[in-house]
Amino acid sequence: MSPEFSEKIQKKIKEIVARYPQKEAAILPVLHVAQQEFGYISSEEEKQVAGILGVKPIRVREVVTFYTMLNREPVGKYHVQVCSNLSCSLLGAEKLIDYLKQKLGVEPGKTTKDKKFTLSLVECLGACEQAPCMMVNFEYYGNLDKKKIDKILDDLK
Amino acid sequence: MSENILTQQFSLENVFKIDEYVKQGGYKAVRKALQEMKPEEILEEVKKANLRGRGGAGFPAGVKWGFVPPVDKPKYLCVNADEGEPGTFKDRYIMSHNPHMLFEGIIITSYCVGIHSAYIYIRGEYESIAQRLEEGISEAYKNGFLGKNILNSGFDLDIIVHRGAGAYICGEETALLESLEGKRGNPRLKPPFPASVGLFQCPTVINNVETISNIPHIILNGAEWFVGQGLAKDGGTRIFGVSGMVEKPGIYELPIGTSLKDIINVHAGGMKKGKKLKAVIPGGMSAPVLKADEIDIKMDFDSLVNAESMLGSAAIIVIDTGTSMLDVLKVITKFYSHESCGQCTPCRIGTSWINKIVNRMVEGKGSKKDIDNIVRLASNILGHTLCPLGDAAAMPILSLTKKYRKELESRL
Amino acid sequence: MVKIFIDEKSFEVEDGITVFKAAKEAGIAIPHLCYHDAFPPEGSCRMCLVEIEGLPKLELACSTQVRDGMKVFTKSERVVEARKGVLEFLLAEHPLDCPICDKAGDCKLQDYYETYGLFESQFREVKEKREKKAKIGKNLIHDEERCIICKRCVRFLKEVTHTQELGIFERGIHTSVNIYELLPVDNNYSGNLAQICPVGAITDTDFRFKTRSWLLKKGKSICPLCSRGCNISIEYHPGFPHFQVPKKVFRIYSLENPDVNGFWICDLGRYGYSYIDENRLDRIMIKKEEQKIEPTWEQSLQFIAEKIKGLNFLKKTSQIALVLNTWLSNEELFLIHKIFKSDLNVESIFFADRPQSEGDDILLTPERSPNRRGAQEMGLSIQPVKLETLATKTRLLLVFGSSIQDQFSSSDIKKVLDKIETKILFASHSNDLISFFDIVLPTALIAEKGGSLTNVEGRIQKFSPVFEPSGDSLPEWMMLADLGREFGINPSFYEQLKTPEAISIETEKEIPFFREKK
Ligand SMILES: Cc1cc2nc3c(=O)[nH]c(=O)nc-3n(C[C@H](O)[C@H](O)[C@H](O)COP(=O)(O)O)c2cc1C
Ligand code: SF4
Ligand code: SF4
Ligand code: SF4
Ligand code: FES
Ligand code: FES
Repeated sequence: MSPEFSEKIQKKIKEIVARYPQKEAAILPVLHVAQQEFGYISSEEEKQVAGILGVKPIRVREVVTFYTMLNREPVGKYHVQVCSNLSCSLLGAEKLIDYLKQKLGVEPGKTTKDKKFTLSLVECLGACEQAPCMMVNFEYYGNLDKKKIDKILDDLK
Repeated sequence: MSENILTQQFSLENVFKIDEYVKQGGYKAVRKALQEMKPEEILEEVKKANLRGRGGAGFPAGVKWGFVPPVDKPKYLCVNADEGEPGTFKDRYIMSHNPHMLFEGIIITSYCVGIHSAYIYIRGEYESIAQRLEEGISEAYKNGFLGKNILNSGFDLDIIVHRGAGAYICGEETALLESLEGKRGNPRLKPPFPASVGLFQCPTVINNVETISNIPHIILNGAEWFVGQGLAKDGGTRIFGVSGMVEKPGIYELPIGTSLKDIINVHAGGMKKGKKLKAVIPGGMSAPVLKADEIDIKMDFDSLVNAESMLGSAAIIVIDTGTSMLDVLKVITKFYSHESCGQCTPCRIGTSWINKIVNRMVEGKGSKKDIDNIVRLASNILGHTLCPLGDAAAMPILSLTKKYRKELESRL
Repeated sequence: MVKIFIDEKSFEVEDGITVFKAAKEAGIAIPHLCYHDAFPPEGSCRMCLVEIEGLPKLELACSTQVRDGMKVFTKSERVVEARKGVLEFLLAEHPLDCPICDKAGDCKLQDYYETYGLFESQFREVKEKREKKAKIGKNLIHDEERCIICKRCVRFLKEVTHTQELGIFERGIHTSVNIYELLPVDNNYSGNLAQICPVGAITDTDFRFKTRSWLLKKGKSICPLCSRGCNISIEYHPGFPHFQVPKKVFRIYSLENPDVNGFWICDLGRYGYSYIDENRLDRIMIKKEEQKIEPTWEQSLQFIAEKIKGLNFLKKTSQIALVLNTWLSNEELFLIHKIFKSDLNVESIFFADRPQSEGDDILLTPERSPNRRGAQEMGLSIQPVKLETLATKTRLLLVFGSSIQDQFSSSDIKKVLDKIETKILFASHSNDLISFFDIVLPTALIAEKGGSLTNVEGRIQKFSPVFEPSGDSLPEWMMLADLGREFGINPSFYEQLKTPEAISIETEKEIPFFREKK
C-alpha cells in the first residue's frame, strides 16, 4: 500500500484540477503526478485519484489500462524503453534489443532482480532521425550502438 | 526560391526563450493581428493562404475555423502535438526550438475564432518538451502575451499543456478530445464534428503544431506570399522528416511539391553508404509504400493521392534493399494491432489477426494462402471502421502485399 | 416527413430519424449488435453497414440520419460482403461454444451467422485466452471470451442505474469488460444486463443450464410486484399434462414500453416469479363444520350469496366487512365497488396490502402491489384493517388475499376471526390463515387472468392470461360477477358481465377517471 498523497502533491493536484472546466479532465495529469511520486499506479492510487476527482475508481482504471505509459506494476529505477518501430528497426533496433536482453538478463516487460532496470519495447518515440533510439525514464538516447548502450547503462548508477 | 519559414530560427540557440525570440522580431504577428486586424480579416487571410493541415488529413485550416458556429458557448482550441505517426518528429523540433512561434499561432488562431482556452495535447514521452512549453507559457504571461487583456486588445487567452500517456490513437482528433476529457482515447462517432460539438461538448478547433506555427508568418507576410512558397497549389512549405537508410536523417523544410527524389538524394544526402534504395514510405507509416522507381514524384497532397499514397505527416521513411519486406510488414502490423483502441470490430480483431498471421509467416510457417488472407482481411477493415486508424492500418498492408508479393512469397 | 428509398421501395418517414429506425418502421430488419434503442448510437460493432447512393463508403444505419431522396441499399452485394467480413472478425476470436451457452437461441451472433455466414472460418491462429464463468453479480455470470465489446452493459450501468460497476479495460484485442476488483454488479436492475447482452457474455445464474430458450413459450403480462406495472414477457415451459408434469415458469424478460418501463424491469420483478408456480392453493376448502356444502364453485358461491342475501334482507349489511388488496384488477375492484358499496352500502371496507418498502428513482415504487392507484380512482378509500373494528360488529367477512398476515400475528388474527360467524378467504397461495376460514376459494394470478391495472402514474394497462389458472382456481372477477347475480339486486346487470372487457365498459360508464383515461 502506498502512503497517502502528501500535502505537496495534494496542492499540485489542486492546481492541475483548476485548469479544467471539468474535474474529470484532470485524470491523466493527476495520474502522471501519482506515477512520478509512487513509480506506478496501484489500486490504492486509483482509489485516491478517484476520490480527489469525484469519480468511481473503475473510471480511473479504465484510463490507466488504456495508456501504455501508465505502469500498473512497479518498474525499476531506470525504465529502459527501446523503440521497436520502423525507422529504428531499419537501423538495427532488433539487434540492440537482443543485446539489452542479454546485458540486463531480462525479457522485455520485466525488471532486473536488483530492481534497477525494467526493459520495455515501445512504439515510435518521435525521434526517428536518431534511430535506433531509446528512452530511459524521460531521457532520450539516439544513434545507439552496443558501445553507446554500455556507456549509458554504466553511467546510470 | 523559397525561404525557411518555420525552421529559420532553429539554429539560434536561445530562441526558445522569450527575450531572444522578441529580439528576433517575435510577437510582431500577434501585435499586428490583435491591434490591426479584425478576426474576419484573419480568417480571410488564412483561407486565401490555402494552409492545409500538417497533421495528416490536409484539411484547409481556414475552412475548418469557418465551421465553428457563432453560438454562445465557450470555444476551445486543441493543438495536436501527439506526434505519434511513426517516422514523424517535426513537431518536436518546432516545440523545442521555437515554442513562442507556436504560441503566436495559438494566440492569433484563438483571437480569430473567439477562443479563450487553448490546450496543447502533447504526447507523454515528450516530457522535457512539455516542460519547455510550460516555461515558455509562463514567460508569455509575464510579458502580457497571454492572460487577461492581451496587449490591451481586450482579448483574453489561457494556454494549458496537457500530456498524453502513450496511445497513438490519441492523435486522432476525437480520441484526443476524449483523452483530454479524462477518458479512454476512443474516437467518437462523427458527425457531430468537433467544430460544432468538441471538447466538453463545445465548439472546438483542432490543428496540428506545424499548421498553427504557420499562422504568424501568414499574418506578417500575407496569404499571397505564403501561397508563393509552395511549388504546387497548396500554400507554404513542409517540414519533411527523413529517417531510415539515408546518409543525413533529419528535418528539411522545403516547398510543398519538392520532388521526393531530391529530398532523399540531395537534401538527406542520399542512401547510406553501400545501401541501395528499395522502397519509401512518403507520409508516415499509414501512407502506402512507394517502390524505388516511384519516387520521382512531387511531394504535395494531390500528387501523392494520384500515386495512391498520401502526404500525411510528410514523414519519409527510406527502406533499403537489405531489408526484408516481411519484417517491415511485421513492424507495421504489430504497430496497428498494438495501437488499435479496441472499440470497433474490424480494427480490434482484424489488426490483431493479421499480425498473428504475419508473425507465423516470420516463423517460417506461412503459405501463399496466408497472403491472400491478409489481403482479404485488410480489405475487410478498409472503409469499415469507426475512425481512420482502420484505414491507416489497411492501406500500407494492402500496398505492401501488392507491390512486394513476390518477395513475400519467396520468404515462405 | 421526407421520402426515402430503401432497397428501391419508397417510404415516407419522419425527418431526422436514423436509417435504422426508418428501415425498422418499413419492416426491414438491419443487423445490429451495439445499437440498442435505449441509447444513442455507439457505432462500434459495424454490423449495420448499408450502402447509400452517392456516398463512397458504406455508412452506419444506426447513426446516419435520413435525408430527403436518400437511396439506401441494405442487401446489396457490397453490404452483404461487408457484414460477412464483420461477422468473420467477430467469430474469429469467439469461443463458439453455443452448445453449452445459455444464450443459444436468443443470440444475435448466432442469428446473423445463420443469415450471412455459414462460411468456414479462415482463422488458424491462437485465440486469446480470457476468463470464462466469472461471477460478477448475485445473478450474473460473465464470459469474457464471448464478449464482443458492444458496451451495452457498460452504458446501461452508466446511463440507467448510474452505478458503473462494469468498465472497459485494456485496448486493442485485449480490450475487456469487467468489474472493478471484486466489486460485484450490485443493483436492483442487474438482470437487464443478461437480457441486453446480445451474446452469451453475460448470462443469468437463475436461468443457467436449466433449459434451452427455444423450448419455452412466451406470454405478455404485467409485473404485479410494485405499482409501476412494468411490461413483461413470462417465459415458461408448458409442461406435459398427460404425464402430470405441470407448466413451469423459467424466466421473466422485460418488454419495451416507453410510457411505463422503457426497456427495463427491476430484479425484484425479474427474479421474483417463483410465486407463480410454488405453494399454490389449487382446491376449494370447506371447514368441517360446514359439511352441508360440497367444495364446488357453484355451492360455495351460492352459500356466500345466501349469507349476503340474508343480511341484506335484515338490513344488516353493516355487519358485512371486506378486506381487499390492490392486486385486484380494475374490473374486480369495480365489481366490489358496485356490489358492496352501491348495491349493499357496506361501510367496512378495508385494505391489507403487502407492506410498503423502499422504492427508487428508476422504476420501483414503494407500494408493492400493482393497483393501488386503481383502487383510489375507483373511489375506494384505502383504509388499513383494524382488527378490533372487525371483531366488534362483523358477521360476514370476506378477505381477498393474505396480506393481513403481514400486519398481524396469526394468533391475533385467529382470536378475531373466531368471533365472526362466517368468514371467507379468496387466496392464491396456501398459508397459515387457511384453517381459520370457513371457505377458502383459490384465485387466479395476474398471469392467469384478464383485466386491467392502473399504475402509479395513472396509466391503465390491459393484460390477458398467459396460461390457465393453476388447479381449480378462478379469476376473482368471475366469482364476483357470479355473486352479484346470485344475491340478486340487479341480476341482469351482472348477467352480461362475462368478460373483463364487458366489466371494463361498465367501469368506464360509471367512473369518470376510467372514461377519461380511455
Ligand atoms: C490514427 C490517427 C493518428 C493521428 N495522429 C496525429 C498526430 O499525432 N498529430 C496530428 O497532428 N494529427 C494526427 N492525426 C490527424 C488528426 O486527426 C487531425 O486530422 C489533425 O490533428 C488536424 O489538424 P490539421 O488539420 O492541422 O492537420 C491522426 C489521425 C489519425 C486517424
Ligand atoms: S478503427 Fe481502430 S482505433 Fe479507430 S475506433 Fe475502431 S478500433 Fe478504435
Ligand atoms: S458483456 Fe455483453 S453487453 Fe457487455 S460488452 Fe460484452 S457483449 Fe456487450
Ligand atoms: S419496477 Fe415494479 S413493476 Fe417493474 S419489474 Fe420491478 S417490481 Fe415489477
Ligand atoms: S521509429 Fe524509433 S523513434 Fe521513430
Ligand atoms: S449497430 Fe450500428 S455500428 Fe453497431
